[in-house]
Parts: sequence; structure tokens; C-alpha cells
Amino acid sequence: MAKELARGRVVAVACPLFIVLLALLSYSGAINAEDLAAETCHLEGWSQPLRCYQVPVGGADQSQNLAVAVAPAVNPDGSEPLYLLAGGPGQAASHLAPLLPSLAKVNRNRDIVMVDRRGSGRTGAFECGIEDELPPDLDAFAGLVSDCYDQQRQRTEGLNSRQTVDDLEQVRVSLGHEKIALWGGSWGTRTALLYQQWYPQSISALVLDAVAPIEAKVFLSAQAAEQALQQLQDACMEDKSCAGLGDWRGDLDRLLNEWETGESRLADPLTGAPMPRRVPRWELANAVRTALYDPGAAAQLPYVIHQAARGNLLPLSGLSSLFLPASDTMSMGLTFSVACAEELNRTSAEEVAADSRDTFLGTGFIDIFRTACGVWPVQERSYPEPERREHPVLLISGSADPITPPEYADTRLDYLSHKQHLVVDGGGHINTRRGCIPELIASFLDAPEQPLDSACVKDIRRPPFMADAFGPALDAEPLAEVGEVAQ
Amino acid sequence: MSFLKQWLQGPMGALVYKESLEAWRDKRALLTAVTFALLFPVMITGTTVFVFKVKSENESRVALLGGEQVPLLAQRLAGDQLRVDVLQEGEPSALLAGEYDLVLQVGEDFVSQYREFGVPRLYVYMDGASKDASRARRQLQERLAPLQQQIVQQRAIARGVAPQLLAPWRLEVRDISTPSDRGKLILASVPALLIMTLFVASLATAVDASAGERERLSLENLLMQPLPPWQVVLAKTVAVASMGWLGGVLSVCALTALMPVMPLEELGMHQASSLSGVVTMGLLLMPLALLVAVVQLLLALGSKSFKDAQMRLSILQVAPLFMLMALDMSQVQLDKPIWQLLPLVGQQQWLKALLVGDVVSLPMVLAGSVVSLLLVAVFVLIGARALRRESLLGAT
Repeated sequence: MAKELARGRVVAVACPLFIVLLALLSYSGAINAEDLAAETCHLEGWSQPLRCYQVPVGGADQSQNLAVAVAPAVNPDGSEPLYLLAGGPGQAASHLAPLLPSLAKVNRNRDIVMVDRRGSGRTGAFECGIEDELPPDLDAFAGLVSDCYDQQRQRTEGLNSRQTVDDLEQVRVSLGHEKIALWGGSWGTRTALLYQQWYPQSISALVLDAVAPIEAKVFLSAQAAEQALQQLQDACMEDKSCAGLGDWRGDLDRLLNEWETGESRLADPLTGAPMPRRVPRWELANAVRTALYDPGAAAQLPYVIHQAARGNLLPLSGLSSLFLPASDTMSMGLTFSVACAEELNRTSAEEVAADSRDTFLGTGFIDIFRTACGVWPVQERSYPEPERREHPVLLISGSADPITPPEYADTRLDYLSHKQHLVVDGGGHINTRRGCIPELIASFLDAPEQPLDSACVKDIRRPPFMADAFGPALDAEPLAEVGEVAQ
Repeated sequence: MSFLKQWLQGPMGALVYKESLEAWRDKRALLTAVTFALLFPVMITGTTVFVFKVKSENESRVALLGGEQVPLLAQRLAGDQLRVDVLQEGEPSALLAGEYDLVLQVGEDFVSQYREFGVPRLYVYMDGASKDASRARRQLQERLAPLQQQIVQQRAIARGVAPQLLAPWRLEVRDISTPSDRGKLILASVPALLIMTLFVASLATAVDASAGERERLSLENLLMQPLPPWQVVLAKTVAVASMGWLGGVLSVCALTALMPVMPLEELGMHQASSLSGVVTMGLLLMPLALLVAVVQLLLALGSKSFKDAQMRLSILQVAPLFMLMALDMSQVQLDKPIWQLLPLVGQQQWLKALLVGDVVSLPMVLAGSVVSLLLVAVFVLIGARALRRESLLGAT
């Protein structure tokens, strides 16, 4: 009897096993089916293959295919994908690919998605021919911008934050993502905050680096740039080798005041030949402002200014090379379309005067946009009053950011009830790649409700100051720096 | 189905039951199968974890001799995973024999040469025979490189030169591999080891069911029963294969259970372990387990003695490993579908794919499994013919 039972069991097991094999193989084939709409592609700054899509968005009157690149998760576990929102406005998300190595830990279990918005990058960059080289004066600049507007007027329609957010929402649905996390950098934080307002149900968490709150007027940046320069001056005073350069801040004021009257010409940092045009004062002031974005470039400012004030303009020429046009240049048509409709329209002359008073930058930065917007007549757009939101938000600021200072995140986001704020001491504009910030972002996304242990932020240091033509003084006592975290 | 049921409930079923009972009663054979099946997944996991931990998590200690001259350098070197102690004096070899992985000595007149655009020296003392030295040197170079780059950039800018002129081009690497491709590389040896488990786990049972039975003089009695010889061989094959298959399935289970412990994501590899994957791999191994069993039985039956059988099968158990490794290292493109019809190679390719979550072709799996089963049938018939020879029974 026992033997018969045993034999019966053999039959009972053997036959279903074969059926199970068939079922399993069929099942494994089904879940691994590749989406035929995706193509393998690569972006500069990231060696791994990406999945690239052309995702149709918009209604019948404003339909467009958006270029979308997805860095697939190494080991997907169902975590929400992270969408990277680029700055500018005018930068393409695909130009953020160099961030991917820093976000490798995030990418282990989450897809990272880069959507080139209308008018940017591989979706169709809206360029005006001024991306490579600025014209000699603002009048010539206005002429070029005006020509660009006249030639491509129809493209300006639909280039606004509302359209961008609606497009992103359509991309989210098309890619089959239930909820998404957002990373925004600079102007991308504005887009993320608006997305949060308009589609709160689609978002799980936000990481905002260099925060541009909805109500902030970020193009009024002269005071922020002045504060960043002041911080640089304070840090320089604490550094023995930099302090030896004396009153370089006073040198800068003198240099700017006397710049227009002098005959000084910069040399081309690529060829060494004298530049064919004189660099105007506003361009010089903007070069200093731009250097403050990056602590590495800022660390060279004291020496560069010290030398320029003494007639040696070579270091100034060399520093300008750090801002040479690159492949990730802004699409200025997009920049003006959004900035003129959403920022400059609500910026009064009184505010400009107040912001520029007693600053090295003066109106040097905003004049560029006021000039451009004068010949870029787009429909004004306003944002609704932000409503309270409960999403977990990680805010990241550089204490010496010349355009989105930490005060923006501290004082303009009261409607966000679950936020943490990391401030990188001496940090410039965008700090996602620095020190332990990538680790903290990954930890935040894994457990967004948990407070971060951000003690490591204080270990992020300013790069060493340039002390002389030999570079930093290795024999000087280094700076000790402290970071902070606020809830 | 009813034919198969009747067949198994007849003398053939009794024979399979008898052979299985003898196979599974042998505790030594069972222990061998289980031990090997669990040992190699544990070893692979241990090695992977250890290598990764050593590579990425251990802190290196560096003694910076003369570091008081260059406090900025000392500060920039120190940090996560690299502890730097500034020492005014010390003997490098004595320091290396102590607690330091590396000694970095600042050359004479370093500061003055640096300021005068000379080429000051930094001397790295290391014990090349120490397992920690290369890791410490790599970490040191990773810290020195950005500082060096900053200095070069500052020096270029001081002279009005764009730093990008110092790099005539940028090398953009475009890796076309997928996480599962990288997984196949990292787990390249695992399918061969899984297949080897079949050989090792069923070895003792195969010898016992053939040469052992002959030495116990019970094979003659068995052949005198009113059963065709092929049924005898088939029954023994099933019993032996069950032991090998147990080993294979245990290995697959152990490997899958241990995968979460391995730092596969850090290595850029897709972690594809799942219950369905385990069951699929187990089923795929079944035809191969039968083939291995029948080959082992034939070799053991053809041997002159019990010891001879053990020796033959010992050689046989490493043969597939070498063959698969040789094929892997050769220029043969194993990804062509035709290779999947070849036993061992087919199973290796399927296991390789399933371990990293790739798709395997159902028609190819079925075709390859049918080829393996056909070979089993052929070998069973060959075995049946061999059993008819009286000389076989006389071998000692």
C-alpha cells in the first residue's frame, strides 16, 4: 500500500512540474518584454546606457514630442522614479547627465528621468545666436534679441511654467509612473514647486537645490551676489595666505569704477591674442558674479582682482575662460520667453533700484533681462498663491550662493510643512555633487519622513584660495569650516 | 497519463522505489550532496562581500612625514576612509610595520620648490606585499588628484590661459553593457558550479547503485527479475538523478537566499533572485540531472572495480567545469541559439540568463531539454545492452 502511494506521488509530482516550467518561462518572458518605443542612447557626462523616448505631449494645437532620457534603476524595487528638473530657465534636463555619477546610489533602485522641456536640448533648442558670444553693448544685444523674436515668434507661445508642468505630468502618465520624486536645481526648483502646487497627487517627495521659491524674484540678485562676495571676503580674511592679498574688495570697487575710462583689453584665454572688443563694465561685474556660483572659481577671485587692480589682467582673462560657452549652454529663446513672462513682468523699477544699491553688481545682471524683455513681448503670466503642502521636501542651499541665498528657503516656504534644510557653508549655486550631499539625498528619498543626520555637511570645505601665481599656499594653515542644518 | 500511471504502479514503479530508497538511505551520499551544494554559494557570497568591503569600506591610515610644512596638503588628504597622521619624524619601514598602511614623506625644500615652480617630491613608502597597501595608495591618489587639478587650474589662470587648453580632448566612455550583462560577468562561474553540483551530489549514489551493487552481488539477482534491462538502468538513473537534482536545487536556493547579502547593486548588477526564478532553474536542471546520472552509471558499470568507478567519476565531475570554462574563454560565440541544443552548454546559458533576470527562449529551452532527454534514452539503451553482457557481472 505504501509503495503504491509512493508511486502515485511520483506521477503526481512529475506531470505538474513540466506544466510549471512552461508557465514560468512564459511568465518570465512577459515581465521582461522591452518597450519598443525606447531606444538606447548615451548623454555626455554619463557612461552608462540610457533609455530614450520621444513622448508626445500637448493637445491638438500645441502637440510636441519631448525628448526623454531615463537612467534605468540597477535593481528596480518599485521606488518612485526621480525626475530631474533643470534650471535657467533655458537649460535642458539632458544637460544634467553629469549629475548621474553623484546620484548613483539613488539610481540603484530608482529610475532617473530627464525630460527636455519645450525649447530646450534635444526637444529642439530655442537659440538666438547669442549663446556663444555676447555682443559688445546692450544696444547691439537688444537688436539681436529682437531679430530672434521676430524670426521665431511662434515658438514663444506655450513656453511657460504651466505648459512645462502639464507636459511633465503627461510624461509621467505616459511612462506609467504612479508617483514621482522631483529633484530641481535653481530654476528647476521653481518648476518643481509649481508642479507640487498643480499636481500634488503625483508627487512623493522633493529635493530642491538652490531654491527659487514661487514668490521670490530671483532675477533681483545684486544683494545676494554682494552677500556672497562678503562671505568670500570674510573667509579670505581668516585664511593667512589670502589675507595677504590685502583689500581686494576695495580693489574691485576701484576696478569697476575706472573700467569704462581705461583702455584695458583682456586677452583671449584660448589664443592669447588681445580680444577684438572692449569688455564693458556690466560684463566684468557679471564675470565676478558668475565666479561666485562655483566655490572653486570664487577661491581665485581675490588674487585675480588683486592682480587686475595692479594692471595685470592675465588672471582675469584666465578666469573668464571658466565661463566659456559649452555644449550645455542655455537656450536663450526659452530663457527670455519664461523670464519675461513670469519674472520681469512683476519686477518694478523701485525694486531694481533697492536691490542694486551699494552692490558691486548694480543693475549689471538685471539690465540684460530688462533689455531683452523690452524686445520680447510675451504674455504676462502670474502664479497663484501657494497652498499648504505636506510632501517631504529636502532643501539644499549654499551659504554663499549669489542668486538663490539660503534665506529664500528659510523664509519663503512656510507653506511646506515637512521640510529639512541643508546649508553648505561657503557653498555656491547647486551643491548636489559636493561632499556627503549625494548620500543625504539618497537617504532622504529612501525615508523622506525621517530627519537626516546631516553632521557631515560641515565637512564640506571651500577649495583652497589662490595665494599667488603658484596656486594655493600649501604651507598656510587651512580654513576650518562649519555647516548647519535647520528644520 | 493513465499509461504512465499504470507503468509506474507496475514492476517498474517498484524498481524505482527500491532504487530511490537505497539511494536516499545512504546518509554519507546525502551529506556529500548537501555539503557541496551549500558550500559553494556560501563561498561565493563570502568572497564577494569580503572583496567589496575591503575595496570600499576599510579605512586606510597614512603617516605624513614632514606634514607640518604643508598643513593645507594634510587637511585636503584627510577625510572619509583615509586617516592622515602628521608626524615630524619616523622611519618609514618601522611605521609600515606598525599601524600605517602607507607613509607619505614630504621632500626636502618642498615648500620653496613648490613656490618657485620647481618639481618638489612626495615620496610614497608602501609594503607591496601587504594586502592593504594598494587600497591605501589608490585612496591617496584619489585625494591628491583633485588638489593637483586645482593647483594646475590656478596656475594656468594666473597666466591668462584657459585650463581646458591643458586637456586637448575629453574621453567620454560609453558603456553599452546592461546591469544583467555585468551580472553575467560577475557570476560567470556560477552556472558551471551549479552544473558541477549535479555531478558531485550524485557521484556516491551512482557508484553505489552500479559498482557497489555488483560488488554486493545483488545486481545479478536484479537482472534475473522479469524486467527488461533498460528498465533497470532507467530506475537507477532516476534514483541517482534525484540525488544530483537535490544538490542542484539546494545550491540554487542557497544562492538566491544569499544574493541580498552580496553587494550586487554596488557592483552595478541587477539582483534578480525570485521564487519563480528558483523553480525555473530547478526544473531546467532536471533533464541534465538525468543525463549526468545515466552517464555516471554507465561509466561506473564499465569500471573494473568500486575504486575504479570512484576514480572515473571523480575525473568526470571536474570535466564539465573545465569544458564550460574553456568554452567561455574561447572565441566561440555561445550566444548563438544552436549552442543551446548542446547539453551542459544550453543549461549553462539558461542559468546564466536566469540568474541575472534575463529572458530565456521557451522553444530553445524545450528543444535543448528534449535533446538532453533523447541522449538519456540513448544512454539507457546502451546501458541495457551492457547489462546483457555476462562479463560485466564478473568484474571486480
